Amino acid sequence: MKLKRLPVMMGIIIALLLVLSPLLSACGSKSTTNTTAPPVTTTSGSTTSSTTTISGSTTTGTTTATSSTTTSANLGVLKIGMMTPSTGPVPEKGVPGHDGLIDAIKYVNDELGGVQGHPIQVDWRDSEYNMQKVGTIVQDFINSGDILFTTHSSSEMKAAQAVANQQGFPGVVVFGSTMNLHPPYPASHIYSPTPDYGDDWVALAKYYKEHIYKGTGTPKIALHLLSGTVGQGTKDAADAMASSIGVQVVDIENHAITTTSEITSLTNIKAKNPDVLIISSTPAPTAVILRNAKDLGMTPGLTVMSTSAGFTAAVVDLTKDDPSVANGLYGVSHTVTWDDTVTGINKAKEYCQKYHPSDYGNMDYLGTWTTCLIIHQALIDAVKNAGYDTLAKGGANAWKAVEMQGIQKLTGYDAQGLQGGIISYTAGDNRLDDYLRIYQIQNSKITPIASWQEAPLIKYSVYGEK
Amino acid sequence: MDLPAGTRNFNYSQDMSIFRTGTQKILLVALFVFLLTAPLWFGNYWLTVANLTGIIIISVTGLNLLTGYCGQLSIGHAGFMAVGAYTSAVLTGQFHVPFLIAMVSGGLLAGAIGMIFGIPSLRVKGFYLAIATIAAQFIIIWIIQNWTPVTGGYSGLTVKPASIFGFDFVTPTSKFYLILAVTIIAIFAARNIARTRLGRAFIAIRDNDLAAEVMGINLFRYKLTAFFIGCFYAGVAGSLLAHTNLTVAYDYFPFTDSVLYIGMIIIGGLGTTIGPIFGVLFIQLLSVLVTKLSPALQASLPWLPSGFTTGIAPMLFGLVIVLFLIFEPRGMAHRWQLIKSSYRLWPFSY
Repeated sequence: MKLKRLPVMMGIIIALLLVLSPLLSACGSKSTTNTTAPPVTTTSGSTTSSTTTISGSTTTGTTTATSSTTTSANLGVLKIGMMTPSTGPVPEKGVPGHDGLIDAIKYVNDELGGVQGHPIQVDWRDSEYNMQKVGTIVQDFINSGDILFTTHSSSEMKAAQAVANQQGFPGVVVFGSTMNLHPPYPASHIYSPTPDYGDDWVALAKYYKEHIYKGTGTPKIALHLLSGTVGQGTKDAADAMASSIGVQVVDIENHAITTTSEITSLTNIKAKNPDVLIISSTPAPTAVILRNAKDLGMTPGLTVMSTSAGFTAAVVDLTKDDPSVANGLYGVSHTVTWDDTVTGINKAKEYCQKYHPSDYGNMDYLGTWTTCLIIHQALIDAVKNAGYDTLAKGGANAWKAVEMQGIQKLTGYDAQGLQGGIISYTAGDNRLDDYLRIYQIQNSKITPIASWQEAPLIKYSVYGEK
Repeated sequence: MDLPAGTRNFNYSQDMSIFRTGTQKILLVALFVFLLTAPLWFGNYWLTVANLTGIIIISVTGLNLLTGYCGQLSIGHAGFMAVGAYTSAVLTGQFHVPFLIAMVSGGLLAGAIGMIFGIPSLRVKGFYLAIATIAAQFIIIWIIQNWTPVTGGYSGLTVKPASIFGFDFVTPTSKFYLILAVTIIAIFAARNIARTRLGRAFIAIRDNDLAAEVMGINLFRYKLTAFFIGCFYAGVAGSLLAHTNLTVAYDYFPFTDSVLYIGMIIIGGLGTTIGPIFGVLFIQLLSVLVTKLSPALQASLPWLPSGFTTGIAPMLFGLVIVLFLIFEPRGMAHRWQLIKSSYRLWPFSY
């Protein structure tokens, strides 16, 4: 092939692939233009392009959401780094996650007075769900003087945690998996505000056996797992706990995050005649599996359950076109629903409806909102115990103070009722809350069907725990 | 090589030298001084970006030898990087093999596997060969995902830091020097490969494989050699990636990266040594720019859908490639060559 033709041919292919990908991502996103949010943004006091100081009622962007009405305006800030996969294969999680953190930090700074008067400043980055990029973003956070960082997914944290742990940079993963949290501190500086995907599986398997299963003998479970940390966390728990719970895993199928058809894998599962199918995935693949299960006649009839990563508004939306696709789906979540009447949900609703109405009902939004409240409380403890100056300097001493005097001092915090348990750190367990609740989609609504239950800490031999 | 007006070669040594004139040598020294002192003013973030950029330059230089010089289209290069990364991680982690041996072994295994997937190149080319190499990407990643006892499956592996003679490369600065050294060696080797009998055979195959065969070039041998060398580079790059990130997992090597690497050599300039460097630098800096700017854009354009501005990066990449194909199909390297030529011809206009 002549040299002139080769680049033209390759260029056309690449240009098409690259140009189409964001357009498809945009189509997949549930976000719409916010017509109610007042677009008044003033940038001040920042020399970096990625840091914006927002006054008054501003909604988006990388923020230092400071209020002109609070007394905190003249005090120094506390910088934290947050990343979400807002583009790439999972914008349906990343975009509402980003919106939730923006609104929550604004709420913290505007109405809760920041951290002892010090506003929280967020260095936000889009990870693009690109694991090579995650490493540079973490280093960017470190370089920017951030005192802790968060990721919105277990995969992002898996890519970030080696560097973070090596340097002692504390991280919080909004949706955590087993390999993020095991073994716990001091080997790991990574924390989760909630139980992990392994805990989800145990809760679902137990609930099925104790409340749904009507047969005799051992219930047969099939697993449909997202390739990666989400699915692996579920599999870890199934490997470790299936026999002690008294269930049998008859088939494990994997799917990619970009899957568009799971007819073949579901046909394999159907042949094994399981009693229940547990899906551990993000919303888009979960929707594909649910649709295909209906196409194959597996549902209604087969009990289907979902772990927390996929149990969100995007799956509920499936019922709009065909209620039978997702109605009846069981799921587990670590936060309350939007219909619960707890203190914290009112503010979340208020900010969401005001600034990001398209995220209303989204569990990712609520997940990051809750995480921000917990981080806020941890930073209050850290400032009280170690002093603002220690934290403001950044670096290893600040990280240690945030971890030892903040995160590990958390005790008795209720996160405004948004989670089931009391937020506390227990030595040897990096889950800051170990409560979760079983839900079911009924009449196109996520409805709690059980009370909050504790998820006991599981020791994973695969990660060297005894 | 074009020489400045008034400069001539008088012997074979001068004719073969890469850096021929005093100006070139001074600029080379200046570049080395810049690179060696970079950690003093880069800061850890930019060092981390530079480290990733260096690793990608190594990989894309290998792809350029395969695609740019030999004309064999490969869209599975990230998969070959994965082979090198896992080989090196397993050898150092489970068999306690020294890093340098593990890195070279990673390159060798990636090269060997590349040769296997290169076998169809004798029969097919263009789109058909592209499909065959795409298969390599998916097969390699599938094996990594499912060979759990060795690769750690979906969890991946924790990797030891690179270590040479007891010195651990754990800081961004030490990693920078390690990657810089390997990158310089890789580029220098690629430059020389391109000038040897091997490189000239590659170019002959690329320009017209039938004519090359008539001239006595063994197509099978040279095409497989190109695959071996190209994938060897990818394997070495993968090894460095694993040992600098301290963890390796299948999702570090997505298919989109394989596609983007092709974009990098198009933008940089196919079939030139400097092209991959330009292409990688351009795309990496564009990516950093968008990552840094998108939050500010998001804040200043609140009427846009949430997350829209972050989608600018892939759109920009696509746009840039299209614009390069229209206005500079021979890449940034050609533009650089024109600048150098005009300087060398001075004071004459042509």
